[in-house]
This record gives sequence, C-alpha cells and structure tokens, in this order.
Amino acid sequence: MASASIPVYSSSNNPLENSSSHNASRESLKMEPLADCSLLPGEERIIDKDIIYICPFSGALKGKVFITNYRLYFKSTDALLFAYLSQEKFEENGWSVYKPMEEFRRQGLPNDKWRVTFINANYELCDTYPTILVVPFKATEEDLRKVCTFRSRGRIPVLSWIHRENQAVICRCSQPLVGMSGKRNKDDERYLDLIREANGTAKLTIYDARPSVNAVANKATGGGYEGDDAYQNAELVFLDIHNIHVMRESLKKLKDIVYPNVEESHWLSSLESTHWLEHIKLVISGAIQVADKISGGNSVVVHCSDGWDRTAQLTSLAMLMLDSHYRTLRGFQVLLEKEWISFGHKFANRIGHGDKNHADQDRSPIFVQFIDCVWQMTKQFPTAFEFNERLLVTILDHLFSCRFGTFLFNCERARDTNELRSKTVSLWSLVNSDLSFYQNPFYTPESNRVLYPVASMRHLELWVTYYIRWNPRIRQQQQSPVEQRYIELLALRDEYLKKLEELQLSDSSPNSSHLSNSSTPNAASPTQHITHLHTPF
Amino acid sequence: MMEHIRTPKVENVRLIDRMAPRKAMVGTLYLSATHTIFVENNPETRRETWVLHSMVASVERPPTTPSGSHLVVHTKNFQVVQLLIPQERDAMDVQASLARLSRPEKYSELYCLSINPNANKEEREESWSFLDLQADYRRMGVPNNLWVSTPANSEYRVCDTYPSELFVPKSATPPVIVGSSKFRSRGRLPVLTYFHQDTLAAICRCSQPLSGFSARSQEDEQMLEAIMKSNPGSDYIYVVDTRPKLNAMANRAAGKGYENEDHYANIKLQFIGIENIHVMRNSQQKIIDVGELKTPSMGDFLWGLESSGWLKHIKAVLDAGVFIAKAVAEEGISVVVHCSDGWDRTAQACSVASVLLEPYYRTMKGLMLLIERDWVSFGHKFSHRYNHLEGDPKEVSPVIDQFLECVWQLSEQFPCAFEFNERFLVQLHRHVYSCQYGNFLGNSQKERRDMGLRERTHSLWPQLWKDRAQYANPLYRADHTQTQGMLRPNTTPYCFKMWKGMYNRVEKSSPPRQTPTDLLTAVREETQQLEEELTNHQERIAALTKADQTKGNAGQRKINKVCEEECRPGGLAPPTGDGPFTSPPQGYSPSQGGPPGSAMTLPLGPPKGPGPDPDDLSSACSDMESGVADLSSRSSSGGDDSKDPDEAVYCTA
Repeated sequence: MASASIPVYSSSNNPLENSSSHNASRESLKMEPLADCSLLPGEERIIDKDIIYICPFSGALKGKVFITNYRLYFKSTDALLFAYLSQEKFEENGWSVYKPMEEFRRQGLPNDKWRVTFINANYELCDTYPTILVVPFKATEEDLRKVCTFRSRGRIPVLSWIHRENQAVICRCSQPLVGMSGKRNKDDERYLDLIREANGTAKLTIYDARPSVNAVANKATGGGYEGDDAYQNAELVFLDIHNIHVMRESLKKLKDIVYPNVEESHWLSSLESTHWLEHIKLVISGAIQVADKISGGNSVVVHCSDGWDRTAQLTSLAMLMLDSHYRTLRGFQVLLEKEWISFGHKFANRIGHGDKNHADQDRSPIFVQFIDCVWQMTKQFPTAFEFNERLLVTILDHLFSCRFGTFLFNCERARDTNELRSKTVSLWSLVNSDLSFYQNPFYTPESNRVLYPVASMRHLELWVTYYIRWNPRIRQQQQSPVEQRYIELLALRDEYLKKLEELQLSDSSPNSSHLSNSSTPNAASPTQHITHLHTPF
Repeated sequence: MMEHIRTPKVENVRLIDRMAPRKAMVGTLYLSATHTIFVENNPETRRETWVLHSMVASVERPPTTPSGSHLVVHTKNFQVVQLLIPQERDAMDVQASLARLSRPEKYSELYCLSINPNANKEEREESWSFLDLQADYRRMGVPNNLWVSTPANSEYRVCDTYPSELFVPKSATPPVIVGSSKFRSRGRLPVLTYFHQDTLAAICRCSQPLSGFSARSQEDEQMLEAIMKSNPGSDYIYVVDTRPKLNAMANRAAGKGYENEDHYANIKLQFIGIENIHVMRNSQQKIIDVGELKTPSMGDFLWGLESSGWLKHIKAVLDAGVFIAKAVAEEGISVVVHCSDGWDRTAQACSVASVLLEPYYRTMKGLMLLIERDWVSFGHKFSHRYNHLEGDPKEVSPVIDQFLECVWQLSEQFPCAFEFNERFLVQLHRHVYSCQYGNFLGNSQKERRDMGLRERTHSLWPQLWKDRAQYANPLYRADHTQTQGMLRPNTTPYCFKMWKGMYNRVEKSSPPRQTPTDLLTAVREETQQLEEELTNHQERIAALTKADQTKGNAGQRKINKVCEEECRPGGLAPPTGDGPFTSPPQGYSPSQGGPPGSAMTLPLGPPKGPGPDPDDLSSACSDMESGVADLSSRSSSGGDDSKDPDEAVYCTA
C-alpha cells in the first residue's frame, strides 16, 4: 500500500468492528472512527472527499476519505448493515419499550437501601455497561471507582432485580481480578458486604457460573473467584456451565445430526453426544438455584468471567422465574433489552453481523441457548407466558437478519456512537405492531407465581420446531391446532355471552343488568374466569 | 382371600414421596381382601391411597434401617409406592401377605369374580350388550357379495382360539376353510379383520403356515387366492410377516415358517421385523428403569432410553401398521398379516392399521370395538400376557402396552384426530391388568364362554363410556382435517418420545401445572353450558310470546317498581312462577346485607346466589358459575401434587 507511512485507519465496512475496540480502549489509544470522523484534541480536518478505495483484502470500496493534520481516514459508505438502510415504518416505536428508570421504578427502586447512580453516564466507569446503574445506597461513587479496578473490564456488581417483599436482590458482575497471587481488595469485599447487608441476609451467595476448574484456571490470566477467607460473609457456588467455545461446538454437533439429514439409526445417543440438552439443563438448574435463593430471602451475586454471557443467561432466566412481568409480551422485551442488550452481551461478536469470518473464536450461540431455555420453560408452563413460540422464533430469526437494529453492536456505548436508535428500526416495532400474532391464548396472568421448571433430563426436549424446521415433515403450522381450537372456543363463548346479553336487554327486564354484570368480566377477559384453576406453587 | 392377610392393620406407617423423600405422610395401613389402603392421619386431609392387589407387580423390602423397614411396592402400571413401617415384623407380614394376595392362583380369587354377580343383575347384563361386534362388521359393509360369514367355527371346532363368527371370501368353500386351518399353526386360518369400503381391499389375519422346508397345502393356497379374488381390482396380495426374517426362517426347522412365493401364486411377501415377546418384555423393563431413575444425567437418560430399544420397537409396530394401511388405502391391495401364532404382533399390526385407516377407530367407542375385535375376540392371550394368575413368567409380555403406546404416539403427532385423551389410554392399560372387570380374563373367546364371565362379571366398556367426559380430547372435532381419512404419521426416530404419562408419572405431575388441554376442556364445557342456556332462553321466549304476552309484561313492570334486582323473576319467570317468586324477596334481600335503597347498585357486585331461588334465570346463571367452579376443583386436583384419582392404581374413596 502506498500510504504506508501515513497512519491509515480504514474503517472496516462493518461499523460493528468499532464497538469491539471499545472494550479494548483502555489498553491502547485507538481512535474512534465515528460517523463523521471524530477528531483528537488538536486534530483538524483538512479535506474530505468521496472516493473508491481499492482495498488489498476486500476489493473496491466506495467511501469517503478524510484527511486531517494527523491522519488519513477512510470510511466506507457501502455495505452498511441492512438495518441502516431499512425504510420500514411501523405503528409502534420499539425503541421506547425499555426505559431503565421506569423499569427500576416498577421494581420499587430507588429505595432507602439502593440508589440510582449516573456515574457511568459517559461510560467512564465501565464502557460495556449501561449508563444507569443501581448500587447499594451506602456505596459512594468513590467506592464504585475502587471496586471497578478489581473487576474484570470494570463490570462491578450492580443490581439487576429486587424482590418486592423480602428485598433480596440479584446482582451481576464479572470475575474479581484475583490472579495467581490471590490478590484481595478491601473495597470489593466491603462492597459485596453492603449488598448482603441491604436486606439483612446472613450470608451472601455468589454464583460463579463456571466450572470450578475454569475459575481456577482464570487466575492465570489475572481473573479468578472470591476466596472464602477474603469474603467471610459470602458462600461461593460454582454452577458448572461451560464456556462459549464448548457451547459453540455443542450446537455445531447438534446441527450435524439434524442437517442435512436427521440422524436415524442412533438418534438418541447421537443427541446425547451433542450434550446440547445437558448444557440447557445446567443453565436452567443454575437459574433455578438463583431464583430459589431469592425466594428464600437471600441476596445473590452472579458472575462468570466477563459477566456478559453465562451471567446474562442466569440472571434473565431467574428473573423470568421470579417476576411474572417478564413473562408478558412487553415485559419479555424489557428483560432482553435490560439483561442482554443494555448490559453488553456481545451480540456483534457472538453472532458476527456482517462479518465474513465465520470461524471467529468469539462466535457462540449463547443467546440462542437462552431462548431455548425460555422455550423449555414455556413447554413446562404453557399458561404462564403471554407470548408464544412464534415470538421466540421471530427473535432468533432477527438475531441474525440485521433487519432491525435491536441486536446490533456489543454494548450501549457503541450503539450510541452509531446512532442506532435514530437510524434503525427496533425489532419490537415489528412485534408490537402485531401483538396478537405473538400471543399465547392460554396465558393466565398470575402475578405472584414463581415458576420452578423441572430441569430433569426427562423433561427437556429438543426444540424440534426450531432446529429441524427446515424439514418439510416438521409441519410449519401457522398456528398450533391446540391454540387454534382454544381461540375458536373463546370466540364462540363470547358470541354466546353476547347473544344472551342481547336477549336480556331486549326483554328490558331488570335481570338484564344483573346478567350482563355477571357476564361482562368473562367477555372482557376470557382468562379471568379460570384463574382460580391454578394451584399456587 | 382373607386367610392370606397376616396383619390387617399397621399404624404409624409413612408413605414416602419419592421425589421429595423428606415429605412423608404418616398414617395407617390396612390390608383388605382386595386392596391395600393407606389413610393419612392428618385429620384435615385424611388422604387415602388405594392399591388394588391385582395391580401389585412386586414388593421389595430393602434392608431394615433404624427408622424402620421400607417396603417398595411396584405396580403393574409402573407406579411405585414406598412405605416405611416402624416394626420389621409388620413389614415382613405385609410383604408376605401382599406376595400372596397379588398372585391369585385361581380366577375366582380375582376382584371381578369376588363381587356378587346378581347384585346388579340387569346392569350386568346390559353392560355386556354395550358393544356389538357384528354391528361393527356391518358398519364396514361386511358381509357383502365378496365376504361372507361362515358357521365353521361356531362351536370352536376349527380353531379354539378364534371367535365363533368368522368372515371369509365368498369363494372359500368349507373344505378350503378346514384345509387351510389345518395348514396353519393352531388352526388359525386367514380370515377377515378389516374391510376397506372405498378400495374393497381387506386386511386378513392368520398364523404362520406349517410349511417347514417344503410342505404345501392346496387348500391354503386356494384360500389366499380366494382372498385376492375377493378384491376385484387387484392381481396380487401382500403377505406381511411381522417377524424379523431370521426368526421366520428359524421357524421352518420346526415345521413352520412362511409362505413360499413359488407355491402361492400372486403374493408379495414382506417382513417387518417386530421382535418377539421376550425381547419386548426385557425392553420394557429397561424403559421402566429409565422412568424410575431418581436424577438421571443426560447420558443416563438418553443412553438408557436408546439402549432399552423400546422406542425402536414402538416404531417397528407403527411401521407395520403404516405398511398395511398404505397397501389397503393407497394401492388398494389386500393384505394377509401373520406372525408366529397370530395373536400378538398380528394383533398389533392389524389394530394399528385400523386406527390409521379408519377415523371411527379414533373415537372412544371405536377404539373399544377395535380392542374387542382384534384383541379380545381373536384370542390375544390376556391372562398369560398380563399375568392375571400366577403363571409362566416367560408368557408375560407388554404386547397391548405397545399398541396403546402407538396410539399415544399418534395422538402426539395428530392432536386433533382422536376423540379420547391420554387418560383414556392409561385407564385402558390399567384395566387390562387390574381384572376389575371381566373383559380381559382368559385367553380366548371360548375360555371366557366356558367360564361364564358374562354371567359372573361386569363389562368395562359402559363404565368407561359413563365417564367419557373426563376422557374427552377437547381438540377433537369430527370435521377437522386430521379426523378425516387416513393418518400418515412421520416415523423417523426423533418423532418418538418417551411416554411420560405412563413411565414417569411422578415427575409428570410436578411441577403442578395446568395443561392447555385442561383450559380447553374448561372453555369447551363453559361454551356448551352457555349454548344450552341460550337455547333455553330462546325456547322460553318463544313460549312466552305465544302464551301470554300481556300478562308477562305486566308482571315485569310490577317487578321493576319493586326494584328487587336480586330476585329477578321478571317476565322470564315461567307462567306458573307467580306463587314462588312472591315469597323469596323477603328472605333474600337481607342476605345481601344492603339497605333497600342500595338495591339498585347491588347487581354490580358479583352475583351471590346461595339459598333456594325459584327463578330460572338466576339459577341458570349460578349454574354457569358453579359449573365453572366444579371444573376448577377438578382441574386443580388434577394439577396439584396429590395423586390424580383417575390415574392408575390410586383411587381415592
């Protein structure tokens, strides 16, 4: 290349790449190739021009070249992700689904034990966290900064969910930077104790999602786990969930037995050899343990290594078990926006949107696995979720489609810099414009029910309608016959109720008022009538 | 049987929940002549668990622990009851008593024969006429000008394990019938079991021919020829040997075997490969073990399931049915089905084919008839296979279990195709083993006739029919596409699931959950009630309009003034209702607790309707309410962790 002596930054044709560099930004002084070239202090733009750049690797690229007093900077204009080109219009604006403050208020926060902090408003504390965080009331901003130094990538323990009655909380974070020498950090220890103290829990439970061997091995790279002696009032439990590489290989094996041909002669043992269901089982039973602790009034802290893969799975599944709000159509969107998107699950790296490198070691179906777990729960509790299987499949389809901005980029900061919300459409715009399409007719709201799925192998199934849906023999029914029949019956019942009501009215007898009163609630909400069918868990 | 009870009552027994061993009920254990009964001490619930002696498969007594002796009772429908008895001596007595009580030596010791047959004589007699096999043949269009009834076996002389009435090709002469039966194992000659009216193809069943290496029978060859000719459009028939080919070949050494295609003109021989009863018995034991594993790992479960081979066997049976059904319905070719004796695999293959072919056999009554025909009348050896009496353990095998499971697997693939639900199948399975009714006793029609079962026992079928509401599949609709015509199931291995409702009931009932089916049933019943209510009103309006409009209106206006909403007799009160509705208001409104002035607002509250209310409307209304309340109680009892009273060995008094 001719311009070898000039620091050329060719913004890759994939704006997502930039976001991953944010994570590393603390180590080096990489510049931010922003939408219109952001400049270093003192740097001045001299010229910008539309050109075609013949890239030695990917060929001709249309774009704009910026020349400053310091560098030559090229930004490609083509090959933008489709989400940026999409002109779709929807009635609903899905970007307004999740408002962090509203969600915290719904949970009853802030309160006298927990406060909202804006310390991360400019992503200075932690560049992969959202701007609004909830932390123990007694922890000062200074404390947070100190704790930040002892947690991998600055992902300090912050509150994800609080139990309204017993005030037990789920906090999430990354691993402590213990390292080989077994470093301790007084501030971190005190901070965790503040979490414990907030609702008077005797012992704080720390769930480390990893197998203990992996946690130990992480010490070699500076990570590790909370030692007994350092954290006296905490117990540490390893949940034995494997890392992204294991999950990737597992799903790959699963793919091999269902595509292009479905394994026939040894179906069950082949399925076993993928270990996919076993991983599902470990994730679900980990989340059950978290939910169970919380129900018992004990606060928990969940982490894995970086706290953006397994941690997100565990906290969001536990929240789904504990809080019926997340089992509604909109609540589920909030859950994904909150625990996955805002807390920096690295969608761009895990999925590789617009990236040709399929063999990248960062790819992993962590989110797919989570949705599979949710599907398993909906199978076990067919009346507990407002949404149906179609929503889950739609989410997974658009996880890869790049039609919507929802799952693009690795973290909020990258989304802000790429103006995601103003330039792309949210998946929830699509969903919320046609809610009935995603509704589970069997849904029966029960606000205080905690769901404990059975994580027994006998009750986990392969999600055939997702993984083998390419097969024409898996009939893609527009609607399951069960749902269809139920909807028909409900309609029929409402029709009868209406007719009955009309009869009463036309008779203009005093009865009519009575009957319509007794029957309208049914008509308005078909499920109310049967709510008491449920046996509380 | 009383003399076998060593101890009739043991106190302070614990009934242990196998999923949560720390949760146990303390109570008293009673042994009666027919049941083992556990009654919880807790005065509030006093839950009772009944286990019929004939349902007990085995009683284990693990080594005594400091807290007492455990007894683990396994039932024939794969449930496990675990008891903890304080005194080792009592435990030994209970075990010994049960060991004897659960293994009757004579038919007369069985439950169905221990009841006075003349207590409900009329009901008993009626119960046996509930199903009419001949009517079902007529429904299929048999006899006709192709197939006729033969009196040859009316006294069970041609074949003592066949029914007395047989249908054979019209052209089959008595010598052919007799000659063919002589060339077939145990005289089980080829006869009709299903006739397809659209294609005129038939399913015939028989046992293996006594062909050995070279023997042949002209009459038997003529019989198969006659079967082919009874299907005018075809020039060959299929002979389906449901055994693996190796087994069939091995049988030749014993002078049996299969049809030689050189001797029989125009047959196509097809082997299906369903294993024999011994393989199936072992396989089932393995899947039971998988169902009972306490906390299986993924490997334990999936490897256990695969190595049990059970789902593979179910697939083989279903594949046999699919082959036959396709031949009959799609190719229009008649099929002759046999295995060795023609009473196990043949019964499975023929009945599965019937279910696939004929929507009627997917209804409750249809399935009853199918079992009555292909299993009961054609001499499936119920008492041997299901160990009704202490006998040869090598004769025991879960043959009908597999048929019922095939139906269940089909119902998973075609949720709208069956009139009945899983519970119906589970209940059928239970009764095959329980001997509470006389239907499945003995090994052939002749044996049952000789025992005089119709005179001494009741039939199961009307009982099931009476309870049909709880066996109904709310998804079933006669007009649904799945209900029409032939079912074409997908039989790739991943489509077969472990039947948890059968092999893993404990876990299935936890977590307590409500299935879509329960909801559907609830709404369906509610809709039906509303429909009835609507019809009632429409009829009454019609009647009123006709009868006396003026009077009705006057009455109505009068009530309006009174403002007694709660009594709402109104114009809809029946013409005779003048008397009744005058008195209730006084007795009624105070119960609402509101001053008369607020009467207008009261109706906004929920309708409270206790007490006698003569008014039809309000009672119709409260009927609706109570109807749902009834449903709810049933549904929640099915959903909570108490044992479902409908299920299996448990029956709660």
